[in-house]
Amino acid sequence: MGFDQFVADRLDRLLGYATAITCDKHLAQDIVQNVLMRAQGKWERIGAMDAPYLYVKRMVTNDYLSWRHRRAAREIAVERGELAKHVPSMADPADAHAEREAMRARIAILPRKQRAALVLRFYEDCSDAEIAQVLGCTESTVRSQLSRALQTLRTHELARSATLGVHS
Amino acid sequence: MNDLIRQAIAAEAEERVDSRTVLANLHKARKRKPLGLIVGVATLTAAAAAAAVVVPMTIKKTEAAPPAVSAPQETQNVLLIGLDDHNFTDALMLARFQADGTAVSVVSLPRDILVDGQKINGLFAQSPAKLTAAVEKTTGAKVDHHAAVKMSAIGRISELFGGVAVCLKAPSNDPITKAAFPAGRQVLQGDQALAFLRQRHGLENGDLDRARRQQVFLADLASKITKDNALTLAREVSGSITVDDGWDLVGFAQRFTGPIGISVTTLPVDAPVEREAGFGFEVDPAKARTFVEKALDQGGSSGGSECIR
Repeated sequence: MGFDQFVADRLDRLLGYATAITCDKHLAQDIVQNVLMRAQGKWERIGAMDAPYLYVKRMVTNDYLSWRHRRAAREIAVERGELAKHVPSMADPADAHAEREAMRARIAILPRKQRAALVLRFYEDCSDAEIAQVLGCTESTVRSQLSRALQTLRTHELARSATLGVHS
Repeated sequence: MNDLIRQAIAAEAEERVDSRTVLANLHKARKRKPLGLIVGVATLTAAAAAAAVVVPMTIKKTEAAPPAVSAPQETQNVLLIGLDDHNFTDALMLARFQADGTAVSVVSLPRDILVDGQKINGLFAQSPAKLTAAVEKTTGAKVDHHAAVKMSAIGRISELFGGVAVCLKAPSNDPITKAAFPAGRQVLQGDQALAFLRQRHGLENGDLDRARRQQVFLADLASKITKDNALTLAREVSGSITVDDGWDLVGFAQRFTGPIGISVTTLPVDAPVEREAGFGFEVDPAKARTFVEKALDQGGSSGGSECIR
């Protein structure tokens, strides 16, 4: 597949993925742009792979998880954490939108790698093996990252339901 | 809860910027700098795949009867070629051996260099003469001789030494071969060593990072070659090395009497361009010639054992 074709097919999806893991559309845009420019230079190799999309996704993920974006990621998480305090706690729990926003906020403050694993599973529908490949770790690490993330989200979910006096 | 997570993530992803904006930026960037600055191809320091040739040299010397008459030696430029199993060039280095045998300066040539529209890494398979001609044209340096070694032999050689020490800045995973290396100092041998030398997928700078790996690896390897193990080594590699017909190796090897100082650098290249042969590096002959002449004459930075990608 040629580079231009790849971009035409996958750019939008890639932006969605990057936005979901970074929780910041501008950071996501920067990362995707930079990665694609780098990928273009090596396209002869990447394009010949079985799964170029998986490889590019790996580049995006690595870039986000690298030290370069550590500070940005922390700032985003803090900001989102602040926002979360104000938004949904008093909302009607039956309000699906509020539920979803509350979950979004909780996901946004997860550790970066846990969130990446979560997005790969629930947005990209990747298998453990594929996630391991993207994150450059073992499958058992993937499973532990996912279960830690789910554990955190579940704890928050329960606490929230209790506060609101509903049974989930 | 999983559905809720799915919806939440989808909502987050919904926030993404318009892909047309990104597309426009990519086009702009392409115009400004053809493909983005891929490599800050700083001078890559380290020592050489010169081992490929230093090895047979040391060996021939050991095998040969004590030199009766030492013929006067001349400085010689030797093209060192590391081949994969299909005779594609995985490593390419131009080495200048000083007449007194105390020093060799080496310039690594990225394998994606384009010469007359063809990638340099496929030329050896067509004919060794074609490759040497292309190198002469690119570097302006005369190639006196060439030596080609099957890279697979290096894996075996590493075993003879109980492994070769390298140091990685960060863990690396080869998405193709699944070879995985942790960060930090480690000793590699056999298939692992080979995988290390061959990996270019999953490395930020691809072949350029690979060239660096080869340099560091072979620097350590070369440092381990002694008179005592040279013969064993000779037996191991003799079937894997070919040199040009007209080369009097025994005579050549007589210049080596003690430790050899190896200095290495890599020919700098600009952003890759797209040609019929695929993406590659075009080299400005004038600049390349100046660089190569200086590097071969004065030597680049000497091979250290610092950590690499």
